[in-house]
Amino acid sequence: MMSVLSLELGVFIAGILGASVILQKNYQESGGEGTKGVITSGLLFTTVGIVASGWTWSIHNSLMESGSSSMCASEGLVQCGSVIGDPQWNNLFGMPWGVIGIASFAVIFFVLMTLFLDQNAKRSPQFVNYLWYLGIAGIPFVAWLVVVELLLVEGAPHICPYCTVIHLSMIGVFVSAHFMKKRRANLTW
Amino acid sequence: MARRRGKSSDLSKNNDETLLWAGLATAGVVSLVVIASLALAPIVSIGPEEGNRAPDFVADAYNGGSWYEFRMSDIWDWDWDGNSSDSKWILIQFIDTDCPYCWEEGDEMSQYHAQWKDRVTFVTVSVHLNIPNHESSKSEIEAFRDLTSFGTNENDGDGCNSGRDNCNARPGSSHQWTYVDDPSNSIFDQWELGGTPFSAILQPDGVVAWNKLKHQGQGGDGEDLPSALQRLVGDS
Repeated sequence: MMSVLSLELGVFIAGILGASVILQKNYQESGGEGTKGVITSGLLFTTVGIVASGWTWSIHNSLMESGSSSMCASEGLVQCGSVIGDPQWNNLFGMPWGVIGIASFAVIFFVLMTLFLDQNAKRSPQFVNYLWYLGIAGIPFVAWLVVVELLLVEGAPHICPYCTVIHLSMIGVFVSAHFMKKRRANLTW
Repeated sequence: MARRRGKSSDLSKNNDETLLWAGLATAGVVSLVVIASLALAPIVSIGPEEGNRAPDFVADAYNGGSWYEFRMSDIWDWDWDGNSSDSKWILIQFIDTDCPYCWEEGDEMSQYHAQWKDRVTFVTVSVHLNIPNHESSKSEIEAFRDLTSFGTNENDGDGCNSGRDNCNARPGSSHQWTYVDDPSNSIFDQWELGGTPFSAILQPDGVVAWNKLKHQGQGGDGEDLPSALQRLVGDS
């Protein structure tokens, strides 16, 4: 049986930890440098989210092709096969969640990159609001997908590690957006 | 000083180039991820057309004893090499227990099963068509499959065949294979069907080998189910 902790998963976890450290170091630091740090942490969370979504999409495709995937374990509590390979739950209007994840994180990435490139542009307050609403909108989906993993998929409960990475990325985006909004409100942008 | 930076009056003019560069960066990252994902595992064609992988599903199923969770792909032989006769082909049939044509087809299905059961796994998906007198239930599906009493032989809406018959009067013998309940018609929709009965033959690895609508629909070659079984699976 394939080990649950693989190199790819380690890289994703390192990305999440790195983004968290950057956020922790910068969220209270006032001024432009602190703001840049918070935006950078959001960008890192988003990048991990996009890449991990692509990874789950690949797992989905390989499961559809051969019924198994060398990219993730397919047995046990912590595995992908029963979650990503579930035809009933791994889709939204027929589209795998991996594709939805890539598209959603791409929109967030664009907003964050715009802020990163010119954080003092007049559009910044508006874009911070957009980011915050996107973060808020993502949370119910994360909650729903956790319920699906734990209660609804065939043979539940299962925990898909790559899905969890994506969920953490989405939460990280929301927290970053929250601190950006706070910085604007406190005039510490 | 730092606090003053947050005032909107301190914000500089919007530069449209920023949006352009952000868009390009986003497109670049997304393109890289999509290309890498597809390189790792290309998209598989899934659908009812011949040559595609059949749509997979998980649903409640009845095997004559009890209801249980059934996943279609669990009966596929993913390692089928295209020749091995050890693996079983799959016949998937869609019915509505109240559809008169499905009622009549019950007898033919019994005969096909008797002939090919050693080489073909039969699966019947019972859908719930939105037609008056087509109300179905798990009990009705059990009775239709097992030929047990459900409803009356009066045309009173109670029972199978649009409520005209007691389910135990269905033509043919009891069906000794899995019946799947599709109350929301989601499997029916995945197969892009407009009515019942419908049947398709799948290779052991789940790829659609014969689709009734292609052969018996407009412009088809007219090949019927037993001929297709004979051609694809051979003699029982």
